[in-house]
Amino acid sequence: MVKYSIRRILISIPILFTVVTLIFFLVRSMPGGPAVAVLGDYASKESVAALEKEMGLDIPLWEQYINFLKDLARGDLGRSLINGMPVAPEVARVLPYTLQLTVSAALFGVFFGIPLGVFTALRRNRLFDYIGRTFSLAGVSLPSFFLGILLMLVFSIKLDLFPVMGGGDIHDVEDMLHHLFLPALTLGLMMTAYITRTTRSSVLNVLRQDYVRTARAKGLRERLVIYGHTLRNALLPVVSFIGVYTIVLIGGSVLVEVVFARPGLGKMMVGAIQQRDYMTLQSVMVVYAGLVVVINLLTDLSYGLIDPRIRYD
Amino acid sequence: MQKKKVLFSKKLVMALVIMIMLSFSFIQAPVADGQVMRLACKYGDSRSLDAHRATGSQDRLVVGLVFNGLLRYQPGNLSADAIEPDLAIAVPSPKILADGRQQWVFKLRPGVMTHPYDGNPGYELTSEDVVYSLRRAADPKRSSFAVDYSGMTFEAVDKYTVQVTVDQPISAFLFLPKFANRGGGLIVAKKAVEEKGNDWFKTHPVGTGPFVFERYIPREKVVLTRNARYFRGAPKLAGVEWYYMPNVSSREMALQKGELDVIEGPKEQAWGEKLAKMPGVVVDFINSAETITAHFNMTVKPLDQLKVRQAICYAINRKEFVAVYGPDVSSEIYSVVPVGRMIAGLTKQEVAKENLVYDYNLAKAKKLLAEAGYPKGFKLDVFTSESTTYKRAYELLQAQLRRIGIDVKLSVVDHSTFHARIRQNLNPIVFYACMRPNPDVILTQFYSSAAIVVTGKKAKTNFSHIGGVDADGDGKIDSVDDLIVKARLASDPNQQVALWKEAQLELLRKAVSYPVITVGYLFARSPKVEWGYKMVIITDGPNPTEVTTINK
Repeated sequence: MVKYSIRRILISIPILFTVVTLIFFLVRSMPGGPAVAVLGDYASKESVAALEKEMGLDIPLWEQYINFLKDLARGDLGRSLINGMPVAPEVARVLPYTLQLTVSAALFGVFFGIPLGVFTALRRNRLFDYIGRTFSLAGVSLPSFFLGILLMLVFSIKLDLFPVMGGGDIHDVEDMLHHLFLPALTLGLMMTAYITRTTRSSVLNVLRQDYVRTARAKGLRERLVIYGHTLRNALLPVVSFIGVYTIVLIGGSVLVEVVFARPGLGKMMVGAIQQRDYMTLQSVMVVYAGLVVVINLLTDLSYGLIDPRIRYD
Repeated sequence: MQKKKVLFSKKLVMALVIMIMLSFSFIQAPVADGQVMRLACKYGDSRSLDAHRATGSQDRLVVGLVFNGLLRYQPGNLSADAIEPDLAIAVPSPKILADGRQQWVFKLRPGVMTHPYDGNPGYELTSEDVVYSLRRAADPKRSSFAVDYSGMTFEAVDKYTVQVTVDQPISAFLFLPKFANRGGGLIVAKKAVEEKGNDWFKTHPVGTGPFVFERYIPREKVVLTRNARYFRGAPKLAGVEWYYMPNVSSREMALQKGELDVIEGPKEQAWGEKLAKMPGVVVDFINSAETITAHFNMTVKPLDQLKVRQAICYAINRKEFVAVYGPDVSSEIYSVVPVGRMIAGLTKQEVAKENLVYDYNLAKAKKLLAEAGYPKGFKLDVFTSESTTYKRAYELLQAQLRRIGIDVKLSVVDHSTFHARIRQNLNPIVFYACMRPNPDVILTQFYSSAAIVVTGKKAKTNFSHIGGVDADGDGKIDSVDDLIVKARLASDPNQQVALWKEAQLELLRKAVSYPVITVGYLFARSPKVEWGYKMVIITDGPNPTEVTTINK
């Protein structure tokens, strides 16, 4: 597995390189620029040109690209073009908030989504199945910002249980969890809906297999048929979808962070887009790309844990 | 079976249960600190907290709390006749020198202390700081307001005296606002900038204002604390926290929940009325000198024809604009300088005398279009910013122009892209919502030939191209440059106003742009907030001052 992991990481390098290159040029193809964002309406062409020079944006694009790659290889994400602050510490400050949110939402989704999916599959076309399907359809259809606002209205305004804004103090577990609950619930409900649907269809698919029929024909107890034979086989596609959905979840966290005024990579990215802060934007996107690669790797590695037939060598 | 435990291990289940239980066990209402005012704006982040680089509304408000000017606008009143001394002990009068130049002398208050910063406990502000600050404001490499100070020199006569010499004498009306507490007029602590550098200063402002900068957390907030040594007396608030929250629903809920004290809203009366119904929320509707004007790009056919532009003017219904934004938030205007908010604005009667009101008249609009050779109208590709203020204006324009057969194809772009593209001369009709400090700035930036987008010597926001094109079809280039310059240099205030008015009438004659409405500001706040001053005309938003309180 170690060899496989190393091979996967090595394969990820050209992928990341391609992504980073695309990001660099796409970011710079956006209309407007950081100099205009900083100087505002009053600025003359000369002032804009002078600031662009100061920001290092007057040199040829390919040269900027080479410099960017060199810095990236050294682990230097550069400085924000808007406020001049180094990007890496800022990423390090907000990344835990995004990870907290994504991981807790993913766990929430797994914890509730898999049992719900199994349960609805086993009660196919019965009342509980209809309720479960309606819930999961609503979960995947409702935009996260809308769901977030609904939850805020109920839990923060009406019930006065949770705060509306902020991420809490990262060094204070109580405060952090208090601020995390609603955003995590918002994303977690979406994740639950996705996993419920995937688990349900996967379980239904496995229930039709010959070996399940054989197990039942042998007179095995239903519990054993379900948990021993059906669920383990049904989980493999679910796990790969969990990986995919976790990546979707990272994307969904952008809106949730904005709605809950919560620090995080998503909020950082939106701010950087608005201000045309190329350095910050490309750095955040590189971190996102890295996260996607890591999640994909973890997903692949988890297959072997679920299905011993899968070998990595 | 071993592998299954990975997914359903007891530890994992326990961890989840504990996490959820912990979340509930810590449920408690946040402890509100009545002494710290928490405000939230609609912006996502600061651009720069350097006094001389703070061009965005979100930054102007923060630096307004940290810095002082030599003069200041009375809190809540941004009109030119509300300027009073700030760091200076009196408003100066000009003196003409033998060589024809003009001289203004500011006497400083003694004993004004700068804020402490990074190892320095603060020091007494003197003329050295003021001169350094003004020279910095006049330097385009370090300031976004340099153009306001061209042709001026600054000297420290003694510890408390600063002398400003102006090459081309200008009126007090144009001179004094440049030294008030906005834009380049804000005075920075020289030692802090020199010791720490301009980059540091962007995120660590050091001034003399009522609140001391404590910290800036990107995309979250700026934290300010009370300046106990403030020369007007220590502020009653313990501090101010300025939050960046682009989502309006989040701001509303945080206000309702008591996590915020003041929030900025969209410039729509309907929003204010909705919030005013909420318990524990007060909404302030405040006048502003911000205007919405439609600029017609005369390089785009058929807008190059005077009759086509006049037809569009007659098809626009200002009353519908007022209805959309709300009568308490907006009002009709008939000239590009807003009457009642700024000197030299034209009243409806003044414009009517010249038959230039362009009141809504569809029959006249259709007749003019037919005369111009477009009896069935034409198609126009236009783009708008996603910003609500702009989008509403463009959507309304689209509906109004459809009535005379003009089919406006509207596409939406993000706000930064909108600003970039209109400066690249890509939009046939440019709605521009802004507040500029005086008629000279409005006319220079939007109507002087030097400011023509892309091709102007100092390309800025002349979207119509007046000064570079034949606006009325007589074969000559039409311009208001002469009137703008004469007005700027006029020493007689009455003559100055007359020239500004004439320039505006000329713009209306040529249907260069269409002044639509002024839009005010809407802020919702806790009823416990007491500003301590009356708001008459503001821009950007309300500023807490040393007298502002939150009554618990």
